[in-house]
Amino acid sequence: MRQLRRNRAAMLALGVIVLIVTACLLAPFYAHVIAHENPFASNITGTIRLNGKTVNVLQANTQGLGYGVTPIGPTWHFSNYFLGADDQGRDVFARLLYGGRSSLYIGASSAVICVAVAAIAGVAAGYFGGAVDWIVSRIFDIIWAFPVYLLAISLSVILETNGINFLFIHIEQGSLTIPILIIASVFIPYVGRPLRGIVLSLKEREFIQAAIGSGASDFHILRKEILPNVAPTIIVFFPLMVAFNMLTESALSFLGIGVQAPQASWGTIINDGLGLLYTRPLVGIMPGLMIVLTAGALNVLGDGFRDAFDPKAKLRGSI
Amino acid sequence: MTGLMSMKRVGALLSSFAVCALGVAAITASTPAGAATGYQKQHAGGTVKLLASTAAGTLDPQVNYTLQYWQLYQATYDGLVSFQKVAGAASFDVVPDLATAMPKVTDNGKTYTFVLRKGIKFSNGKTVTVNDVLSSMQRLFKVSNPNAGSWYNVIVGGAACLTKPATCTLKGGVVVNAATNTVVFNLTAPDAEFLDQLAVPFGSILPSTAPSKDAGDTPLPGTGAYEFKSYNPNTGLVMVRNPYFKVWSAAAQPQGYPNEIDMTFGSTVESEVTAVENGQADWVFDPLPSDRLQQLSTKYASQLHVNTLTADWYLPMNTNLAPFNNLKARQALNYAIDKNAAVSLFGGKLLATPTCTILPPGFPGFVQSCLYNKGTSSTYAGPDLAKAKALVTASGTAGMKVGLVVTNDPVNEAVGQYVLSVLNSIGYKATLKPQSANIQFNYIQNTKNKVQISLTQWYQDYPAASDFLKVLLSCSQFHPGNDNSINIAGFCNKTIDAQMNQAEALELTNQTAANKIWGQVDQALMKQAPWVPLFNPKQIDFIGKRVGNYQFSRQFYMYVDQLWVK
Amino acid sequence: MLRFILRRFASAVVVLFTISVMVYLIFFATPGVDPAARIAGRSASPAVVEQVRIAFGLNRPLPIRYLLMMDHLFIKRDLTSYVNIGDKVVPQILAAAPVTLSLVLGAVVIWLIVGVLGGLVAAANKGKFIDPLIMFLGIAAVSVPAYWLGEVVNLITQNELHSSVFAWLPAPGWVPLTQSPGEWALHLLFPWLTLAALYAGIYARVLRAELVNALNEDYVRTARAKGLSERRILLRHALRCSLISITSLFGLDVGALVGGAALLTEVVFGLPGVGLLTYNALENLDLPVIMGTVMYGAFFIVLASAVVDVVYALLDPRVRIV
Repeated sequence: MRQLRRNRAAMLALGVIVLIVTACLLAPFYAHVIAHENPFASNITGTIRLNGKTVNVLQANTQGLGYGVTPIGPTWHFSNYFLGADDQGRDVFARLLYGGRSSLYIGASSAVICVAVAAIAGVAAGYFGGAVDWIVSRIFDIIWAFPVYLLAISLSVILETNGINFLFIHIEQGSLTIPILIIASVFIPYVGRPLRGIVLSLKEREFIQAAIGSGASDFHILRKEILPNVAPTIIVFFPLMVAFNMLTESALSFLGIGVQAPQASWGTIINDGLGLLYTRPLVGIMPGLMIVLTAGALNVLGDGFRDAFDPKAKLRGSI
Repeated sequence: MTGLMSMKRVGALLSSFAVCALGVAAITASTPAGAATGYQKQHAGGTVKLLASTAAGTLDPQVNYTLQYWQLYQATYDGLVSFQKVAGAASFDVVPDLATAMPKVTDNGKTYTFVLRKGIKFSNGKTVTVNDVLSSMQRLFKVSNPNAGSWYNVIVGGAACLTKPATCTLKGGVVVNAATNTVVFNLTAPDAEFLDQLAVPFGSILPSTAPSKDAGDTPLPGTGAYEFKSYNPNTGLVMVRNPYFKVWSAAAQPQGYPNEIDMTFGSTVESEVTAVENGQADWVFDPLPSDRLQQLSTKYASQLHVNTLTADWYLPMNTNLAPFNNLKARQALNYAIDKNAAVSLFGGKLLATPTCTILPPGFPGFVQSCLYNKGTSSTYAGPDLAKAKALVTASGTAGMKVGLVVTNDPVNEAVGQYVLSVLNSIGYKATLKPQSANIQFNYIQNTKNKVQISLTQWYQDYPAASDFLKVLLSCSQFHPGNDNSINIAGFCNKTIDAQMNQAEALELTNQTAANKIWGQVDQALMKQAPWVPLFNPKQIDFIGKRVGNYQFSRQFYMYVDQLWVK
Repeated sequence: MLRFILRRFASAVVVLFTISVMVYLIFFATPGVDPAARIAGRSASPAVVEQVRIAFGLNRPLPIRYLLMMDHLFIKRDLTSYVNIGDKVVPQILAAAPVTLSLVLGAVVIWLIVGVLGGLVAAANKGKFIDPLIMFLGIAAVSVPAYWLGEVVNLITQNELHSSVFAWLPAPGWVPLTQSPGEWALHLLFPWLTLAALYAGIYARVLRAELVNALNEDYVRTARAKGLSERRILLRHALRCSLISITSLFGLDVGALVGGAALLTEVVFGLPGVGLLTYNALENLDLPVIMGTVMYGAFFIVLASAVVDVVYALLDPRVRIV
């Protein structure tokens, strides 16, 4: 811990993350108290007061033949369409804050699920070996070999049209839980495989062999001997998985199969922005920059974790 | 027809006797494409480069049902009759093509006698004979033509062909005589739309050697001024001059200008527009991205062509499913939607007009009215949210969940997001379900999918009121549990149905009186509010700087073979 | 050893089989996709739809249809699309593969040069100003969503600046190498750079970590004690060992990319490769094409990981027990 605190880059990254998370958590406050805008309702024929003048949020073109309609650009007035409007006439800055909430929420919760499931499966496979190992390894193989985006896209196409109705589990179409589960399941092998490898090599070590020889229960060995040894790796993996899951979420939303309207995430805002790339490029660029900033900070933090807890952990950067 | 945004499927062609009669009468009055000043030889030659983001499926003209290829078939295939190749309203008229004249209709409209032109050759060099006509009609059934069971089964023997396509003969239905070069069609009942059905690409005459199954991506020989040289759905298609083509009727099949017409698939719409801007291509098939319109209408104004279409963008509401099985809920949404907002998302007032009726303006039977409006004006003034909210409360449907199914292209999804926002603002809990355009159109028709509301389009084929009212909202067009149930609202009202039948019967004798009833039908339907009509769109074409002689058919849009690149 | 190799490849076949079954089931669980109705066309009557159903064998039980599809895909190789009737799946994939290969191979060259150089320079200058700078760039590269980077590149190169600075750049698209090598490279330049950025970042970071570890190992200390120069130690000893672990990473990455993992780059730049083919097929729910591309992609991934495992087993006999 002390070593982590001495790592200036990691502390700076942590600061950035805290700042972004706080700003995103304050989204409702900004939208309702400062901007007085509902960032989820279309405002196509609306107007705003700007420098004492009434201006349309969406403006019909006046030059040339006059085809097309362009949303208002950045006003640089903090309380009023700071970064301009999107094609629905919604406040881009407010949506950026709300979108950040979804992106961070999806990134973090899918990372928790992914790392937890991967840890249980990977440790069980490595420790028990035999049939357990065979089955877990083959499941890892299958998920691994299913091209990542294909698996995610295929699952999304079905789940997003139907929702999940499996036995007692009911998740509605359009719920954030769907992208969370999809992203979590797709990356389980990426975490599970290295953990299995670590447990395999641990099992060869004398102190574990001694514990097995002394007749200690499996549960005892797992808890007292194995877990403390894989925990650092899990901790190191976590921020990197959050970063990577955020990137995946944005890619899925870009392909139109992640977060569904009227919810927003940085990925869906980039997607909205693509339709305005030639007239209002900022709508698509800003959420991308936010992703880069957040994912970058998480990666730096992950590096800091590694240096502090598990300098030998072999990670693929951002996988 | 419908679904212009992506797959551009061409829809049912339903017209009346009156339209056909009008068509025949009008031939002499209109001038064929390219014939206004005669064929201008100095412009012949060169390669026209067309761009489309994706291919549109099979190239077989008797199977393909998309506007994307129907537009190209105009230059490659001919039927016994065809739509006149002229610009403007006369492009709806049916003229003799491979037949020497319009058919002699006898036996109370049940027998059509055509005389085949002599000496016309297919692009493979073989002469067109009456046997080719017979085999082409049989082939409609053998290749499972999409409308074999709804259009062509009116031919005697058609029913038998439907059940056993492999052995289809159409015996007694199509009788040919090689000596007199005549083809006689015998129908089981009079059919006002029969000639129109022969004039679309399905009615193309192909060599009798054409395979009796869907030819897929193998080009079939035709009689047009061009032939397909190659087709690869992943990369593109090439059309070259048909070496055996000689003009027999410029109104039916004019000589084309370019030596070659290419359509390239695979790039994004944005890149396509860039390519035309940079002079690397001549035309973009796909709808133009809305954020490019400003740039195009300032820098490339002379290369843009806008044409009025008689078409509707509308929201069909499922009248058999909550909450829209409640009339007040349907009326509430009609009051709540701001049609000007939808117009703005489509590209602004110059590219679309808000509408309150099912029939587009200028249509036979069209009466200007606006039942759900702010104020009492007959033209659209704006939404009335207070009335809408009151109706939702009165209907007792507030708080219900509503799923809106749209296609996932940018414009449809943008309009969908707006409608979603309105649904939420009047008290529903709405979610958006974007789907690929390829799937959505059939998905929203099938009652099994329990679609509550969707966004879709209908593009007319003929200026006939029945093409909208009867096709889209009569009881006979509603097939529960079927992917092909074009009455998407599932609307069925026996009184209005009877009124429609009355109007159709009257068309044979008194078009004016019939139109008046069609107008009343439109009003009666809007009182029941099975739809929210949004706007009437316009077609916008962006062509390359070097291209000349842009001509627009209201039937099949721009004539690709008439473009000048020299 | 032979037994290990056989076992490894047997499990690869099991994995491929399971994936094919999964794809098949997933798409038959999807609502609103009756292939018969879609082949028959929009207003087809029920009789016509039934006709199509029989003609395409869509009326038979699911397991039979699965076997028929596999037969058409792998043995007869004449499986055709549900959307582009008559369009065979296998030739489509074979036509798309060179595009993906061109994209991946070009990117590989760039990312290996940039990544290895970056890792080397950073490790050699550990603690100096240039090391954190390179690592910062590496982190930025791995944190950028690839598709967003591609769109921004398109915005910069194809919009306002296209008439001045980037006038030499053609509109995005694909030109085969055989048609014009110059145009081929010009069309692929920015896709290469975009795809390579992420991997260059990853490889520079991984290589630096490996090198720093290796420089602390005994054999390096021995070499130092022998009085070898630092440069020689870094290049001859540390780099050689570090590259071995990079190789397995490299094998898996290239396998995945050739198999279609460059989907987003292909979509953004409109390159008609396996990724775009898959993407379009998914948009249209064109099951035969999806099946073909997934099997193609999975094949490369499974092959790459099997080869990597076998090579490892050859180098390190202890792995074989696993």
